[in-house]
Amino acid sequence: MTGVVLAAAIGALFALGTFLLLRRDLIRVVWGLAIISQAANVYLLTMGGIAPATADSVPVLAGRGEHVPVTADPLVQALVLTAIVIGFGMTAFALVLSYRVYEEHDTLDVTELGDRE
Amino acid sequence: MTATPGGMESQLVIAPMVVVLVTAVGSLLLSRRPRARAAVSIAGGAAYAIAVGAIDWYIVLAPDAPGIATYQVGDWPAPFGITLVADGLSAFMLTMVAVLGVASLVFSTRHLPGGGGRSYYFPLFHFLALGVTGAFLTGDLFNLFVWFEVMLMASYVFVAYSGGPQHTRAAFWYVALNLLASAIFLLGVGGIYATTGTLNMADLALRLADPAAYGLDPVPVVGLLGLLLSVFAIKAGLVPFQFWIPTAYRAAPPQITALLAGATKKVGIYAIIRLSFTVFAGAEVAVDFPIPLLGLSIAGDSPLPFVGAALFLMAGASILVGGIGAVGRDSMEGVFAYSSIGQVGFIAIPVAIAATTIDPGLRELAIVAALVYALNHTLAKGLLFLAVGAVRSATGTSRFADLGGIASRSPPLAIAVFVGSLALVGIPPLSGFFGKFLVFEAAAKARAGSVLVLLLVGSLLTIAYATRTWNRSFWGAQTDAVETSTVDSVQVAVLVLLAATIVAVGVGFEPVYAFAEAAAEAALDTEGYVDAVDPIDASELDDSTGGDH
Repeated sequence: MTGVVLAAAIGALFALGTFLLLRRDLIRVVWGLAIISQAANVYLLTMGGIAPATADSVPVLAGRGEHVPVTADPLVQALVLTAIVIGFGMTAFALVLSYRVYEEHDTLDVTELGDRE
Repeated sequence: MTATPGGMESQLVIAPMVVVLVTAVGSLLLSRRPRARAAVSIAGGAAYAIAVGAIDWYIVLAPDAPGIATYQVGDWPAPFGITLVADGLSAFMLTMVAVLGVASLVFSTRHLPGGGGRSYYFPLFHFLALGVTGAFLTGDLFNLFVWFEVMLMASYVFVAYSGGPQHTRAAFWYVALNLLASAIFLLGVGGIYATTGTLNMADLALRLADPAAYGLDPVPVVGLLGLLLSVFAIKAGLVPFQFWIPTAYRAAPPQITALLAGATKKVGIYAIIRLSFTVFAGAEVAVDFPIPLLGLSIAGDSPLPFVGAALFLMAGASILVGGIGAVGRDSMEGVFAYSSIGQVGFIAIPVAIAATTIDPGLRELAIVAALVYALNHTLAKGLLFLAVGAVRSATGTSRFADLGGIASRSPPLAIAVFVGSLALVGIPPLSGFFGKFLVFEAAAKARAGSVLVLLLVGSLLTIAYATRTWNRSFWGAQTDAVETSTVDSVQVAVLVLLAATIVAVGVGFEPVYAFAEAAAEAALDTEGYVDAVDPIDASELDDSTGGDH
């Protein structure tokens, strides 16, 4: 059940992110990118297995013997933490950059910006 | 627990990264003292070149060299820690970056591009080099993602660096595309982890070669490799992911564009070669893609035929799109940016041949061809973009409409550009001749007639745009902008030295070929790679060794 809910949530996040990415407003594009990055993070987390973990279901422990405690997959959490930090920095940079684009062009409309070759 | 045998070689692996990181931080601290900052940067660049040279000699080229060395970060054994690996392929790539990087660094000390961010130019330069270096040395898939990000963040700032309307806009497109690419990279990484239970490249190769022994179902890795391949193709600028290149290359300062074309593009190529051949070549996955319309099917025992087919399409389209696009541009950097798209196609074609063939001899020859061509492209295109920088800082423009007669104004500059253009075309005895020759030889041996025709068309297009660029900006009568210009002597000296390097690589090609051959052997030697990294099979650990680290 949790699996289905999570899969649906990830799918919805990717759909929403893609929708926003294709908008004409530059800020929405940034939101879209942020949501897609977050969707990728949630997906990454589920890749470690979401059931109460045992040596069989956690990839980093599977096939490595029986001498492991029952635990959630620590590896994906470390990966996601790194990805979140990078994503945070990049979202901040993209927001600052879109403000600069607004200062230089007086518009945030993607179509108008594209016309100014 | 000593997981790092071989003392000095092992320490050497991490040396370039430490050097460039220290230089980056050092130049950041000196942001208020321009002279000291430039001096630290140059010293750091020289130390970087020495470190890379030491890797080349002690790990790859010396008679008693081990051929490969690893550094286990924090002394955690693979696959639990991050492994850094220096082998022939990494060393070859690092050498290209070191040569071009030092040239661009010295060039930059003379005329920093304008804008308010001058004090951040050198730190960013070194962080860009750090990302590139890390990507070449890491032996871990997720760590590769992190180094990609380090490299990209510096390049984002450089694309926006000049701060004008077109620069901020180009930077935004560039950032948006690469953020999307990063998310896709994460999807690939996560999927591969869920499928195989590891992200260490050596462990990955080991497990995929015998999936049944580890209780794995490896089929998803074919599609996941496809995801990663598209990310690397974005970095390399292969069609259909080439659209960001012209705007980003025009927006960044020319001395940085030299690095973007010469170094970060090669990271994409490197990642394709490393993952396809060292890691996934031995994967026990039967692929069979029928193509109903043509009545063909792509079939084989590993994901390689799939990689080969995809690369053939992308590389062929790149050669045509890049070549045709370059002929019609109206500025020097516009021509060279499109030319980069075409030239990367020339590098990817032999990689595709290597992925498709089952003959080990031809596979090695094709990888050698790709590497030699990549070396030539780094030197020649690096030189040409630096020349754009020299022309711009002398005349204030690089548009053909305002240029003409530079050859009579500054003969040394013209000679350097002439050599670079000829190397791009592939005239003997320059480095470009051997690159082209090897690519044609690989295609001929693969009996791929259509590929030969494509390569020929691409070469003709190269001649067309190189000639046009020369005629429009260097030949003819001097325009007003050229007549009143003074060319910086240090910048010209850097260009002449790079041109001399191109000639030297061509004339003394024997050792270069030997180096490229060692690199290709390293790329194909999965067993040696796994042995060197030596991932522990944890199912063999017992309680006494399990928790004492």
